[in-house]
Amino acid sequence: MTDVRRRLAMSMLVFGSLAFVAVIGAPLLGTTPIRLARVFDRTIPFADNVDAQIFFIARLPRALAGALVGATLAAAGVVFQALLRNPLATPFTLGVSAGAALGAMLAITMRLHLSLWGVSAVTAASFVGSLGAVGIVYAMARARHRGFSTNILLLAGVTLNSFFSALILFVQYLADSAEALRTMRWLMGDLDVAGYGPLLAALPLCAIAFVAFAWLPRALNLLSLDTDAAASRGVDVLRVQRVAFFSASMATGAAVSLGGPIGFIGIIVPHLVRLMVGADHRIVLPASALFGAAFLVAADVVARTAMAPVELPVGIITALIGGPFFLWLLVRQR
Amino acid sequence: MLRADNVTYVHDRGRAGAGAGSASMLPAPDRPALPGVQDVSIAIDRGSVVGILGPNGSGKTTLLRLLAGMLRPEQGHVTLNGTSLASIPRAALARSIAVVPQETHLAFDYSVLEIALMGRYPHLGTFELEGPRDIAIAREALAATGTAALEHRLFATLSGGEKQRVVIASALAQQAEILLLDEPTASLDLGYQFDIAHLLARLNRERGLTIVVATHDLNFAAGLCGSLVMMSEGRVVAAGATGDTLTSMSIQTLYGVVADVYPHHAAGHLTVVPLRRVRRD
Amino acid sequence: MKLGAGDSGFGARGWALGACLSTVVLTVTLPAAAPRAQLAPQRVVSLVPSATEMLFAMGAGPRVAAVSSYDHYPPEVERLPRVGALVDPDVERILSLRPDLVIAYASQTDLRAQLGRAGIPVYSYRHGALADITAGMRDLGTRLGLETQARAAAAEIDSSLSDIRARLAGRRRPGAMLVIGREPQSLRAINVSGGYGFLHDLLDLAGGRNVFGDVSRESMMVATETVLARAPEVIIELHYSDPPSSDAIARERKTWSLLPGVPAVKNGRVYLLYGGELVVPGPRVVLTAQTFARALHPDVFGVR
Repeated sequence: MTDVRRRLAMSMLVFGSLAFVAVIGAPLLGTTPIRLARVFDRTIPFADNVDAQIFFIARLPRALAGALVGATLAAAGVVFQALLRNPLATPFTLGVSAGAALGAMLAITMRLHLSLWGVSAVTAASFVGSLGAVGIVYAMARARHRGFSTNILLLAGVTLNSFFSALILFVQYLADSAEALRTMRWLMGDLDVAGYGPLLAALPLCAIAFVAFAWLPRALNLLSLDTDAAASRGVDVLRVQRVAFFSASMATGAAVSLGGPIGFIGIIVPHLVRLMVGADHRIVLPASALFGAAFLVAADVVARTAMAPVELPVGIITALIGGPFFLWLLVRQR
Repeated sequence: MLRADNVTYVHDRGRAGAGAGSASMLPAPDRPALPGVQDVSIAIDRGSVVGILGPNGSGKTTLLRLLAGMLRPEQGHVTLNGTSLASIPRAALARSIAVVPQETHLAFDYSVLEIALMGRYPHLGTFELEGPRDIAIAREALAATGTAALEHRLFATLSGGEKQRVVIASALAQQAEILLLDEPTASLDLGYQFDIAHLLARLNRERGLTIVVATHDLNFAAGLCGSLVMMSEGRVVAAGATGDTLTSMSIQTLYGVVADVYPHHAAGHLTVVPLRRVRRD
Repeated sequence: MKLGAGDSGFGARGWALGACLSTVVLTVTLPAAAPRAQLAPQRVVSLVPSATEMLFAMGAGPRVAAVSSYDHYPPEVERLPRVGALVDPDVERILSLRPDLVIAYASQTDLRAQLGRAGIPVYSYRHGALADITAGMRDLGTRLGLETQARAAAAEIDSSLSDIRARLAGRRRPGAMLVIGREPQSLRAINVSGGYGFLHDLLDLAGGRNVFGDVSRESMMVATETVLARAPEVIIELHYSDPPSSDAIARERKTWSLLPGVPAVKNGRVYLLYGGELVVPGPRVVLTAQTFARALHPDVFGVR
């Protein structure tokens, strides 16, 4: 077996197990002790079985949401880093999450009270916001003649981030105290989906994105080498860039709409994975998705148990881990 | 074999770096805006070593990219064995023509073998992973460029000369019959320049590789290339055998430098010795 | 100068001089003799809605010159100028109204400093627990020179509250969850009252047991898991706006069916309360206490 096949198989085994253990184990952990035997005890009617309710209504959707969001953000991070040829890029660099945040802010402060297919107005509005940001950034990055500039993409994204952040602060300022608290809460990330509805709504888009993610890695290897080198080796550079940009952006939009802008996953996980498996995207991308899932689920367990019964936003946990990690990375790179 | 007929390509006149390519990215911010080429016709014969010379802004790199199929000409066409490049699918084209760019900047820490294996991309299916044969070919390419011992090193840790040789190995792994190189010796010291020149000569001799080199280095071109194409401001001003085209006259026209061109006995090829600058009028 | 009728010597000139001197003496000495704080404020600007309500309750309504952006009770305040609130007090507007007392939050230190420079006294108001409401009322009454009226109003509130407590004495306290905020149409971002603050105290007075009473915080976010674990028998949800259509209320109430196992949901004891008075720790807490009592003990207070 060739080296890359061996390493791919090993990575899938190791990270896959990690993700599996996390998703299965997380619903069993929490401040309220529950017994697995009781959870699956069919003799107790569901309405009376608190353990089962906690497991199936509160914790399991939450673990699944954490896995989906973690996998998506980590994979999107890998794709953006390759697209922008910069290991410090994150899924939020290009303004997608700022657009999602603005959408959510507006929905909260304008008191939109409707829901579609189990998706609340806030979730829907934040997804629309992310689409808007993607559209603006892409339109700006398209050069006049055929072409697509990653430099302009980066600048457009950074500018959009600043602009949207200012708008977000403005909207928060105008909100009354109850709404302002909810907006702050949303911005810190929240995986407590309380049901499978929002999860199922986000799933199709993430699935499509992951199909694209399966196709990209080889091309991403070459793209991150040099775009000329990629082109001369038969890569359709423009198409790969478009697919990478749109799939990673949409996936990020869906993830952020589901759980809020949970930071640092998109950069810590890819880096840790690269340290462990090397730079080949064919291994890094799937491994990051699996590790991202495990990582976020674990962080969420900490978030809901550390200060119980008070809920800590999961974004704070990832930031507390991520901030120092990021600093260490920067120091190490020098 | 590889021909360009009346090819014209003009870059978007905008900000620096605002050129556009049909299949490639905009140039990196530190590269200046690329010039175009006007009504250029050249023919590259199988097994030949051709040098493209000219000052900065003469269109050497643009011509090279047109020959590689990375740019589509606005007028005229580029053909490979009679078939227009535009009608050849990318992967097939990559199996025929390999390009070694001037500089290679890595965003991530790839190993030398991984870089060499990237040359196998046009030979593999979408989800196919490299097999033992691909690895053997990659290793053989590394050996051909004398970099086999560096296989497990990280590319970023190599010296300039080693990096360039690894990139050439990666291009060799494509098993293309034509190799295009853009300023292969630009950032190398004298020793490495020799190494590259000898390597290319050997590849041409032993494998029959057709080589096209865009370069500034007149002596390098004189030693390596059997024929030259001299360009100025997007047009070909001279083309033919090295002995015929590399003259004091042509150098003065092209570079504004008075130089002595003569066959150097010990070197075994024409040598250019620049004497003085011509006063601009 | 001549003063009209006849020159009577000391008479006219003397009186004029005397008047002038007296005026000068009185103008100079009287203000210095009487400390400013003793003069009862006549033009009051209130940035704190609960303080505004207290002022009206003790009969100081006519003295209120301006209110905060969040004041809506009593109806008279709608005609008054607005001067901002906690985050954005409009200092210029306040100054232009030339008040002799401004009631502001204790945390608005910058505002206090600015008004202090202009010589305007500031009464610092601090939110606290239920007992602090009547205590605050009495203190405010003293400050305004309406001690008697304030005491009377406070006593009335105290007695109404004690009434409620007495009627429920000895009765079992159902476990209750007081939801002060959540995302509409979903159960995310559930914000509840912890074991501190006037809302918690009202719940306690109305015969309920706050299932989150062990956490000494005024408000906190809780996960659905925690709600399931604490299993409240009654859920009271507070909304600080006017009630929407009954359809909308029913829809919001239905959202809780995502957690069918919670006793309150199972037994249909989820109450959605609407009204501005719910968030104001002022004289109307009696209304809130009565509403809570009705929700917690419908058999004693009649079903809503």
